[in-house]
Amino acid sequence: MKNKLFRTLTAFCMAGVLFAACGNSIVSRAAEDTENSAADQKDSVVVTMPTTSEPESGFDPAYGWGAGEHVHEPLIQSTLTVTTADLKIANDLATEYSVSEDGLTWTVKIRDDVKFTDGEPLTAEDVAFTYNDVKEKSTVNDFTMLKEAKVIDETTVEFDMETPFSIWPYTMAIVGIVPEHAYDENYGQNPVGSGRYILKQWDKGQQVIFEANPDYYGEAPKIKKVTVLFMEEEAALAAAQAGQVDVAHTAASYSDMSVDGYRLESVASVDNRGFNLPTTAPEEKDGIVYGNEVLQDVAVRRAINIGLDREEMIENVLNGYGTPAYSVCDKMPWYNNEAETAYDLEGAKKLLDDAGWVEGSDGVRERDGVKAAFKLMFNPEDSVRQALAEDVKNQLKELGIQVTTEGAGWDVAYDNAQSQPLMWGWGAHTPMELYNIYHTIKDTGTAQYSPYANETVDKYMDEALRADDLDKSYELWQKAQWDGTTGVTQEGDIPWIWLCNVDHLYFIRDGLSIGEQKIHPHGHGWSIVNNVDQWSWE
Amino acid sequence: MNQRKKTIIYFTAAVIFLAAVAIGGLFCKEAAQATDFSQKNLLPGLSHPFGTDWLGRDMFVRTIRGLSLSILIGLAAATVSAFAALILGIASATLGKGVDAVITWIIDLVMGIPHILLLLLISVALGKGLTGVVVGVALTHWTSLARVIRGEVMQLRESQYIKIAEKLGHGKLHIAVKHMLPHLVPQFLVGLILLFPHAILHESSITFLGFGLSSEQPAIGIILSESMKYLVTGKWWLALFPGLMLVLTVILFDVAGESLRKLIDPGSAHK
Repeated sequence: MKNKLFRTLTAFCMAGVLFAACGNSIVSRAAEDTENSAADQKDSVVVTMPTTSEPESGFDPAYGWGAGEHVHEPLIQSTLTVTTADLKIANDLATEYSVSEDGLTWTVKIRDDVKFTDGEPLTAEDVAFTYNDVKEKSTVNDFTMLKEAKVIDETTVEFDMETPFSIWPYTMAIVGIVPEHAYDENYGQNPVGSGRYILKQWDKGQQVIFEANPDYYGEAPKIKKVTVLFMEEEAALAAAQAGQVDVAHTAASYSDMSVDGYRLESVASVDNRGFNLPTTAPEEKDGIVYGNEVLQDVAVRRAINIGLDREEMIENVLNGYGTPAYSVCDKMPWYNNEAETAYDLEGAKKLLDDAGWVEGSDGVRERDGVKAAFKLMFNPEDSVRQALAEDVKNQLKELGIQVTTEGAGWDVAYDNAQSQPLMWGWGAHTPMELYNIYHTIKDTGTAQYSPYANETVDKYMDEALRADDLDKSYELWQKAQWDGTTGVTQEGDIPWIWLCNVDHLYFIRDGLSIGEQKIHPHGHGWSIVNNVDQWSWE
Repeated sequence: MNQRKKTIIYFTAAVIFLAAVAIGGLFCKEAAQATDFSQKNLLPGLSHPFGTDWLGRDMFVRTIRGLSLSILIGLAAATVSAFAALILGIASATLGKGVDAVITWIIDLVMGIPHILLLLLISVALGKGLTGVVVGVALTHWTSLARVIRGEVMQLRESQYIKIAEKLGHGKLHIAVKHMLPHLVPQFLVGLILLFPHAILHESSITFLGFGLSSEQPAIGIILSESMKYLVTGKWWLALFPGLMLVLTVILFDVAGESLRKLIDPGSAHK
């Protein structure tokens, strides 16, 4: 027995040593690569990304490359349009586009001088093929509004829509065009595109190496070689400390570290964190409970929204690297700044008092025997969400609302969020996110992620999708948030509470400039290299 | 002071310490989860003997609570496991060749699969969490004790007083309960206590790997896996103290088990 105990202990120690050894070998391999490249010229960069950023199914837009859960520019392929620094739309492959009056037909003209890296020209056929392919296959991004993409002539494509979709240019900005002649089931492993970079090498689980496309039709990339290493934050920090990478992604909890030869750069984001508040009375359907006894009271939801001190939260949890969030789309062209509220603890208490929530002997408010209490779930692998949940708990205690925090994996979180708040992360470069969060779905008559329904909000968003130009649609998206009488903001139904936008932090080697970054969307991965072709070394 | 007195002192000290940790932990459920952002990342000091983590949680309270959870899970799992071992061990030795063959085969089967692997499978299949861990540990740890008891019973069966009981016409069950069980108690108790450290280590390791208790629970495995992320930033106290306490707990259980064996084993009881 005793022997066995020692054997077990030894085994644990050995396992520890083994883990450490594995970690080292990845970093040292990366180091060799860097030393090789750093020696000859300064037009290459080594960038770290979280392991979750590695595209599981390869670099194929149909399986989420670029047009996935976390959108970004696909680098290897080119897109019809691009989003600009202020998140409006500019052309890339497209030279002009227009939409019919009923919003059901988009006609796009494309450049005629673009070639894939295998020398074949990029034609309207490839564009139509790509869109029909993603419509058929994509499970990570929504293409149900598209009926069919048709070729009109060599340089003209027509998109027939099922329903009007005024923000189609935002979708066109993330779908990389693939070559019809070189597309098969292995495309994701050996992608051919017409974009700024060529995939040179992919060591699964470790790194991806890109090289500049010498025949790129636009401005030639300044950075000729981009190496992306996939690792966790602590490994990225260690790699930066060892001087082995040029850009290391990091988190607020490491922001007090200083690394010699590196500066900490923070990039603004719309990568927000917030939690849902189910707005209906609890009701069980197919084993899932929808709605929440306490949170169905709009007074409680409003009190929570103004009773949370977002600045303090950012200071506490993000070490100051973030901005308060009041909506899912702060700083975007479709954001309605009426959503902004001021921290007002007394006002929040008054709201609860007026609604009849009276403080009991244990400091928890109560109404008609119902305690003002709820559970707040968070993803157990995400320390920032955990910390935010804990801070919400502490702050709401002062209001007399009792919060219990609980870790919940994604396997159960979606179902449980129908009745209990969950700490979410959102933020995308398309107003469609407003629709996904607040619009009701046909089958259930309630919004997808958390029970909520408001006909007026629905109507504005439907109109926004039918709008014939983007500027008009921005206005309607804003009205969906707040039109002066109803909406999803403080004075409206407030079915979600938005807490903060998490700045994306990077340790960047001195002398490297990462250009002007677009506001980063959710996902701490590929966004940083959206403009890698414009980075420069001093 | 003779050997026996020393052993009694060791045993009592170990038991008192472990009981104190286990019971102490029961009373600090709230405190172990309470966060205070004004007290983030503090070095060990007077007000926080083990320091605080990045949420401002007191690591001392968390460690005690974590160990307490581990001890209670260990207690539950080891007890279930030991009783399973006792019953199967006796059944194997007394119910004839067929039963013996089946049970021995099961023992070999369970022993043939690495503990940790089987434990992971069971825990995941039962949806992780408390039940997953307890059932997992219980189902994987009974084998060696079952073997010991089977061997002991086989030996007992040949002894005079059992043979006499048989000749007197007592039933098999009667003999097993009346005459064999009392003889087995010392081995059983020692075996039970020596199961604890394994149960605790295995509980914390599968929790560490993310297949055990969920992350808002201050289990020792959670504490250690969380602290791994911050070791690189020089926050050594997050892992050191909880780790040391875990080792200490395991060793103390071992000391308690060994002392108990010395005390009740006829071979050493009178030293």
